[in-house]
Amino acid sequence: MSDDLDLVSKVLILDNAVEHFDTIKQFCDENGLIGLRIHSNNVLRTLNSYVDLGGIFMAEDYAESLEKTIELASLIRKTRPELPIILRRKSDSSNVQSDNLAKCFVDSYTIDDLSPLRKFIDDYIFSIVYPNALIRGITEISVQSLQSQFKAQTVTANAPYIVRDRIIFGEVFSLIPLESNWCRGYMMLQTEESILDSLVVSDVGLQYSQTPFRELNNLLGEVTNLIWGSFKNRFINDDVDRANRSVTQVPLVINHQNKYISFGSENPQLCFKYTLLDEATGLFCSIYQWFIFNLDFTPELFEEIQTTVDDLIDSGELELF
Amino acid sequence: MAKILIVDDSSTVRDQVGEFLTENGLDFISAIDGKDGIVKLQGDPNIKLILSDVNMPNMDGLTMVEKIRNELGNSTVNIIMLTTESNPSMKERGKAAGVKGWIVKPFRGESVLTAIKKLIE
Repeated sequence: MSDDLDLVSKVLILDNAVEHFDTIKQFCDENGLIGLRIHSNNVLRTLNSYVDLGGIFMAEDYAESLEKTIELASLIRKTRPELPIILRRKSDSSNVQSDNLAKCFVDSYTIDDLSPLRKFIDDYIFSIVYPNALIRGITEISVQSLQSQFKAQTVTANAPYIVRDRIIFGEVFSLIPLESNWCRGYMMLQTEESILDSLVVSDVGLQYSQTPFRELNNLLGEVTNLIWGSFKNRFINDDVDRANRSVTQVPLVINHQNKYISFGSENPQLCFKYTLLDEATGLFCSIYQWFIFNLDFTPELFEEIQTTVDDLIDSGELELF
Repeated sequence: MAKILIVDDSSTVRDQVGEFLTENGLDFISAIDGKDGIVKLQGDPNIKLILSDVNMPNMDGLTMVEKIRNELGNSTVNIIMLTTESNPSMKERGKAAGVKGWIVKPFRGESVLTAIKKLIE
């Protein structure tokens, strides 16, 4: 987990034991987790929507019986195999076939010993160390880039978080490769077309010269380009020997019906959420940004590029040669 | 009347810059990449300034500049790069190819007016 910047992650808490709520809540608060509780009837429906989860805590008596709980866990595993599930058992000696457990749960814990729960989040959610300068820098450059394209709106950033989910948010997304000596992967921006459209047309004087969706695609593309450019300028040293960089690639798989995207890696992803708010109308639009370092991530080689005084030309300013 | 050629694969940028130029009484045409930029330049002798992106499909902006200077032999048209790139080695490449100035995006109108004043008026 990042040392002092607060990375968080959402976990689904499938546990009805009122007497343990406080203990689990305290654990979540102390470990950067946002716990979401839902009724058992809604589990699969919730998992099929965009909830950007990091993992699932499940109690062995969550369903009517242990067998039913295991059945539900199996269904969850089928639906969302990328989400690790940890089981809360009533006691260490609870009578459960271990192979049945292993198929559905990555580990188990009891309320008296939360150390397996701690190990669970370290291994499956906060398993990658993201440098503070990277997280802070991404937020800064993204807010600036968004603000430059959405001048009439106020842009804010939520706390960055970690997800294992592969569900795509909204209908439109952009992808751009990130290539450096310390990272290889993609940046993805996702948003909802109709809401972005409402926000953009609320700008005084805007007239579409193309079909609206094409205009919105181009706008999202330009925001992506601006963030990518700033990311490269701030974090990627092009002078480092390109010849020695890996050229490995893996296929990306997108399933439109299920709004699912796979980058071929099981690693959790670094995510940011930005909100564009039109103060006059109250309309707002969310933009989700994922950093998927699926091909390489070597934070030891990460460095923020130090610019010399001569290079300190603000964006937008003319530098004549 | 002197004309400005905007070369950018993003229609959002072409529209933003074009709208700004029109508001300031300036005439412009657009091209969608480096190849298109060369075609448009060859077809219009009134183009006195090119505002070009660097990263574009088909032909990037710096390759376009090199072709304009070396293959077309056009050493008079002024070229400013309007790009997200601020890498010093890329700027050096642009300078060596005959680029007159560099603006890091996002686009700011005053910088373009400054370039026009200094280079073509």
